[in-house]
Amino acid sequence: MPIQILPDEVASQIAAGEVVERPASVVKELVENALDACADHITITVEGAGQKLIEVADNGQGIPANQLSIALARHATSKLTSAEDLFNIRTLGFRGEALASIASVSRFSITSRIREEEAGARLLVEGGQMEGGPVPVGAPAGTVVRVEDLFYNVPARRKFLKTDTTERSQIDDFVTRYALAYPQVRFLLVQEGRTALQTTGSGNRREVLASLFNADIARQMLEVNAVYEDFRVFGFISPVGLTRANRRGITLFINGRWVQDISLSTALIQGYHSMLMVGRYPLAALFIELPPNKVDVNVHPTKTEVRFTDRDELFKGVQSAVRRALLAHSPVPAMGGQLRWTPTPPQTFSRRDGWQPPEMAPDTQIEAASVMPEYKHQPVLPAGNVPLLRLIGQVGTAYLVAEGPDGLYLIDQHAAHERILFEKFMAEHKQSVASQTLLDPVTLELEPGASRLLEENLPLMGRLGFEIEVFGPNAFKVRSVPVLLSGVDPGAAVRVVIEDFEEDEAPLQDQIEAKIIARVCKRAAVKAGQVLSQEEQRTLLSDLETCQSPRTCPHGRPTMIHLSIDLLERQFGRTGAR
Amino acid sequence: MKVSVLQENLAHGLGIVSRAVAPRTTLPVLANVLVATDEGRLRLSATNLEIGITCWIGAKISDEGSTTVPARTFADLVGTLPDGQVDMDLVVQTQTLHVRSGTSNTDIKCIDAQEFPPMPVPDLRDGVVFNVSDLREMIKQVVFAASSDEARPVLTGVLLTVEDNLVTMAAADGFRLSVRKAELSQGSAQSMKAIIPARALNELARIAGDGDDTVTMSLPPGRGQVIFRTDDVELTSQLIEGSFPDFEQIIPVMHNTRTVVSSAAFLKACKQAEIFARDGSHIARLNITPGDELQPGSVEISAQSEETGSSEAVVEATIEGQPVLIAFNVRYLREVLDVVGTPNVALETTAAAAPGLIRPMGDDGFLHVIMPMHLGG
Ligand SMILES: Nc1ncnc2c1ncn2[C@@H]1O[C@H](COP(=O)(O)OP(=O)(O)OP(=O)(O)O)[C@@H](O)[C@H]1O
Ligand SMILES: [Mg+2]
Repeated sequence: MPIQILPDEVASQIAAGEVVERPASVVKELVENALDACADHITITVEGAGQKLIEVADNGQGIPANQLSIALARHATSKLTSAEDLFNIRTLGFRGEALASIASVSRFSITSRIREEEAGARLLVEGGQMEGGPVPVGAPAGTVVRVEDLFYNVPARRKFLKTDTTERSQIDDFVTRYALAYPQVRFLLVQEGRTALQTTGSGNRREVLASLFNADIARQMLEVNAVYEDFRVFGFISPVGLTRANRRGITLFINGRWVQDISLSTALIQGYHSMLMVGRYPLAALFIELPPNKVDVNVHPTKTEVRFTDRDELFKGVQSAVRRALLAHSPVPAMGGQLRWTPTPPQTFSRRDGWQPPEMAPDTQIEAASVMPEYKHQPVLPAGNVPLLRLIGQVGTAYLVAEGPDGLYLIDQHAAHERILFEKFMAEHKQSVASQTLLDPVTLELEPGASRLLEENLPLMGRLGFEIEVFGPNAFKVRSVPVLLSGVDPGAAVRVVIEDFEEDEAPLQDQIEAKIIARVCKRAAVKAGQVLSQEEQRTLLSDLETCQSPRTCPHGRPTMIHLSIDLLERQFGRTGAR
Repeated sequence: MKVSVLQENLAHGLGIVSRAVAPRTTLPVLANVLVATDEGRLRLSATNLEIGITCWIGAKISDEGSTTVPARTFADLVGTLPDGQVDMDLVVQTQTLHVRSGTSNTDIKCIDAQEFPPMPVPDLRDGVVFNVSDLREMIKQVVFAASSDEARPVLTGVLLTVEDNLVTMAAADGFRLSVRKAELSQGSAQSMKAIIPARALNELARIAGDGDDTVTMSLPPGRGQVIFRTDDVELTSQLIEGSFPDFEQIIPVMHNTRTVVSSAAFLKACKQAEIFARDGSHIARLNITPGDELQPGSVEISAQSEETGSSEAVVEATIEGQPVLIAFNVRYLREVLDVVGTPNVALETTAAAAPGLIRPMGDDGFLHVIMPMHLGG
């Protein structure tokens, strides 16, 4: 095939692909334009998860009628004039291609009026083709951009979109984050006719924080404020006890721009140094301000990646700002009742001076059930049940010691209980889950994204035995819980499930159910550190014996370690290696 | 300190206080019992910082004094001593307690009484006076409904309120609610409200003596504690802080069906159902059918389990209102029927998804709410 210059239309669609990946990217570009135009009132309307309609209306500067067509041209911007400007960017936009890109993959209209003029003008574009020139219309001061039928002319793109739920919650997330970064701007987000977010524009960040997380979390968040020679770090971080299983609770802004930067979020996490459990991440909304010439935002068309001239400096700054905020609010341990004086804290076993496992020869078999890398719905577990076990006792309030026909078994009480609950739940789930009504329904307040996820999964929750009702925007009432979980705090149980929805975008139904059950069981299971009575220990063992896959917990960790007689004898030098 | 006591009194006293000993603790003195002379009697005290128990026993005191004796060792020793007099003599210098009885001579290493946490001295003048047997009955009817989940501390307690001469105890674990009201024989001048750990009330019921004895309860202001005191026993407990759910609003005010059954027959049927409902869900179904001219009304209680099988039992009943099919946690039913204390009991229901209310017939002071269960779709 001979080499050809691509037709304009194709070229702009290719370029559009880089900027406009999904409905949320359209929202992002349009909201950023509104913010660049100094609007203090931005209304976003979304229908059909953004594929039917995205409309962003602002009360900003507006575009003069005679420049409307230019605004739509590729590489047309009012924000840069020379190449030097590129290294001193104070606006969110600068590439001059967002509107052109969006207009090339949708049916697009822009209506705008500058304050000084009486009438505004409207321009229609379909698939990148202007439908005539701007026509005069009556309009309020500001700009309204309507994007309909996104990707109607690039069906391939549509295929890559996630479920409507996911697309909608990405929009929620994005708008909420910008609302947090611009608390003096009034944001209104209406999705499918429902108000998903509304801020007052009062300038109070903590108020907005409640919509990003929820009121309870917002109250607990700690304030960070550190000023360095060249930059400033401020915002909110969660106290040590408030964590998530993923990094999604972390939001970073640089000079008013939301960025995704692994090294900065790592700096944040390192600020928690050793205070977090493995696999747990803090929640945060951190804002960093630094001179525009110290940061390069022109790294990627989506403008969410940045480069710093003094990366290490910044990294250290974030880390120590976080550390200082945490220490300033250093946690007071919660105590039941009012003790008049405090006993010394219980001693914990120290690994160093405690019992040491003997050096194992490589061929000795400590037969930990093979570790599953990841949970699968029908896990292929090491075959074989556990033999009848005779309980010896509990060690370190975390493990049970038992004797079997062939040696000693050490059982992790938490993992074992998790397995037991999981199998009971799955067995019951095959028929129908018994659910227990609460005396007093528990009200749950969730952030918009989580709330949408929960709402769309209510039928699934119902099948799992959670009866939940929508109770106003982003609020729910939990009316009943599965009986197997009646010992757990109902609110906490539901939250655990939502975290799972967040992890998986579009999991298969049966997989998500098993996965959620595993998660919830983890929450409900006895913890390490819990003293178990003889009776409880014995029940745990006999329940474990009846499990189908007793050797691993639902997440694939081993529930037990087997020290065979043979191994014991060899370790004690009673017999030579056989 | 030099005292003489009767072995049987000492064994009894140690038995009472030992429940408050904290055996596994990092504060060694909490594993000990305080032994102190106190106005002509010998005082034994133990505390785990949450609950403290004191018992006074008769003694012949030659020298005043006090020490703390390892609880386990002391109780084991006293258990082996013959009936009759036990002489105890403390060597203060070495904190060694010399115990002599009959032909046996023992020395126990003690810890200085100074290290023992101070026990509050109650002001009994403005306390509330209960009759022991009434109090024990009240406790029995509510404590079992308290939660054992430490994550929601208020629910692990019993709300006790006193107003004029009416005392109310209420406990709820999130799925059921037990409320007992009673009149005091001696009115109280003061209104009181406190959340008392269910565990403390259980202990109180165990040690409070019996019959016509009285117990005085006081809430020393600003200390977050409650003190119960009889002639020779005292129990102190930390109160639970927080606000108890507004339980009055949970109690249903109307019903569509009222089922009156023999408490004993209903209890028996529930026990039978529980055998089969035991694994997993504890779910039992009640099929309530009003009678007609030909046959009396009935409640059919059924339960089934994949593994064990199934069971059905029918209990005759007097039923007013519509038939209803409702499911409950059978353990909850059994636990309340165990304590109703009247020959007949009424179960009031509105619908399958609405709470059930249990009232003993002829005893207006007690009521119990149980939330229903259902099988998910
Ligand atoms: N809501 C608005 N209010 C006022 N002017 C606007 C608005 N939206 C766009 N414009 C004008 O249209 C121009 C083009 O917008 P567009 O988003 O395509 O490019 P940009 O914002 O300059 O750069 P980028 O591609 O990085 O977003 C802007 O430079 C601005 O002058
Ligand atoms: Mg732009």
